[in-house]
Amino acid sequence: MLSTSARAPIDETITLEQLTLDPYPTYKRLRAEAPVMRVKSVGRTFLTKAADTKRVKEDPVTFSSNDPHTPMKKAFQATTLMRKDGKEHMRERMAMMSALMPKTIVEVWQPLYRDIVAEYLDRLPRGEIVDFHKDISDPVAARILAHILGIPEASDADMQRWSQTLIDGAGNFGNLPGPFADSDRANAEMNKVLAAATERLKATPDRSALSVMVNAEDPIPYSQIVANIKIAVGGGINEPRDALSTILFGLLTNPDQLEAVKAEEKWGAAFEEGVRWCAPIQVSSRLVTEDTEIRDCFIPKGDVVMTIQASANHDEELFEHPEKFDAFRASNPHQSFGGGPHHCAGTHVSRRTVGQVMLPMLFERFPNIELPDPSAVMWRGFGFRGPINLPLRLA
Amino acid sequence: MPKVTFVASDGTRTDVDTQAGTCAMRTALGQNVTGIIGECGGAMACATCHVYVDADWVEQVGPRKDGEIDLLEFAASEMKDESRLSCQIEITDALDGLVLHLPEAQI
Repeated sequence: MLSTSARAPIDETITLEQLTLDPYPTYKRLRAEAPVMRVKSVGRTFLTKAADTKRVKEDPVTFSSNDPHTPMKKAFQATTLMRKDGKEHMRERMAMMSALMPKTIVEVWQPLYRDIVAEYLDRLPRGEIVDFHKDISDPVAARILAHILGIPEASDADMQRWSQTLIDGAGNFGNLPGPFADSDRANAEMNKVLAAATERLKATPDRSALSVMVNAEDPIPYSQIVANIKIAVGGGINEPRDALSTILFGLLTNPDQLEAVKAEEKWGAAFEEGVRWCAPIQVSSRLVTEDTEIRDCFIPKGDVVMTIQASANHDEELFEHPEKFDAFRASNPHQSFGGGPHHCAGTHVSRRTVGQVMLPMLFERFPNIELPDPSAVMWRGFGFRGPINLPLRLA
Repeated sequence: MPKVTFVASDGTRTDVDTQAGTCAMRTALGQNVTGIIGECGGAMACATCHVYVDADWVEQVGPRKDGEIDLLEFAASEMKDESRLSCQIEITDALDGLVLHLPEAQI
C-alpha cells in the first residue's frame, strides 16, 4: 500500500535566511499548497499542519528523538535525555521532574522569582527608554534557571553564554570547528561548577534539579545528571525570555486587549496567546524509524521530519485570524510545549513564573508602559524565534 | 455506546457518548469538555488530564498504571486516593455510566 504513494514534493527555493527573517508567509503557503514538503536548504521534510505535527510528536516509535546525525552529542559531550526514547528517557526525565512540579514551584520558585523580578525591575529607570529584552527578559530567565537547576553561583552572564554556546554547537550542522571549540570550553566551565555544586548539595540538599538528582535513592549516572542539567541550561533561557518579550509586544500593540487582560486578570490567557502567536521553539526534528505515510506522501525509514509547531499554531483549521495576537480566543490548542513523551519539562515553571508572576507584577509596578516604536522591534529565528530587542518606556 | 459524565469543579455535569477502546482523556477532548487539557497526548509527560474517579466507580476503573503515580504528584491540583490520569483510563463497555470529577486546575 505504502509503495504506491509518491515521496513528498521537493522545494528548492526556500532559504534559511528567509525562514530566519520571517518564516510565517512561507508556512502559510506550505499549509495551503504542500503541507508535507522536503525543503532542500534545511535537508528536512517539513510538516506544517497541526494534525501532522501532533501525530508525529505523539508517536515516538515511528518518529524517534534519537537522531545520531545531529551535532548535539558533540556540543553536549553526551547524549542528553532530549535525544533518547522509551524507558531510558523517562527515567532520566523523572529524575529531575520533582524540581519542576507545581508543588515545588508554588512553595519555592514562585516566591524566589518574585524577589528576583522585584530586584531586577528596581534597577530600571522610570521614564527612559530601556531595552527590556536585554535588561529583564534575558537576565531574569537566566537567574531563576540557575536557582532551579541548583547552580545559583553561576552568574547571569555565565548562564547566558553557556546557553547560547550550547545552542550554537547543537545547531552546528556544518561541523565547523569554532562552535565546538566554544562548546568544549563551556562544557569544561559547567563541569567545574556542577562538581562543586554537587558537593554542596550532597551536604545541604535543597529542592533544585541537581540536588534531587544527586541525592536520589537510586540516582541516574552522574554523567547523565550533568548532561541533563546542560540540556536544561541550553533549553531553559531562550524560551521564557522570548515568550516574555513576545507577550509584551502583543499586549502593548493591542492596548484594548491589555486593558481587558488587566481588568479581568487574564494573564494566563495572554501568556498562552503569546507562545502560540510566536512559538519560542518553532521546530523540532524526528528520525523516521520505519516506512510510513503522512497525508498521502510516502516517508521512508531514515528520513528526518521537522514538525513546525510555529506553523501548527497558525493552522487555519484550528485558529481564526491566526496571524493576530488575540488573548481572548475561545480555545487555544497550541503546540508550543510540544507533545508526547518529550512534552516540555519546563511547561509548569514557565506558566507559573512568566505568566502568573512577571506579567501582573510588571504592569502593577509600571501601569503605563509604552512601546513608542513597534517597528523598531526586530524579530529573528528559524529554530528559536522571538524579538531580539524591546525598547520600552517604563512609567 | 458507553456514556461518561464529567463533573466540573463547580458541579456542572457534562454527559458525553464515547466508544470502547479510546481513553477518558480523548473522550473529553473530542467532545470539547473543558477542564481537561491532555497536552502531551497520553504519554504521561504533562499531568494535565488529571481526574478524580467517582467513589462508586473506583473499583470498576481499576488500579493506576505503572508510572502514573509519579506524574499525579506533579498535577496542579491535590492528588487524592481516587486521582487518575484520564489518558490512562481505557473506556470499556463495562464503564458505561462512568462519572469523573474534574480538578480545579490542570496547569
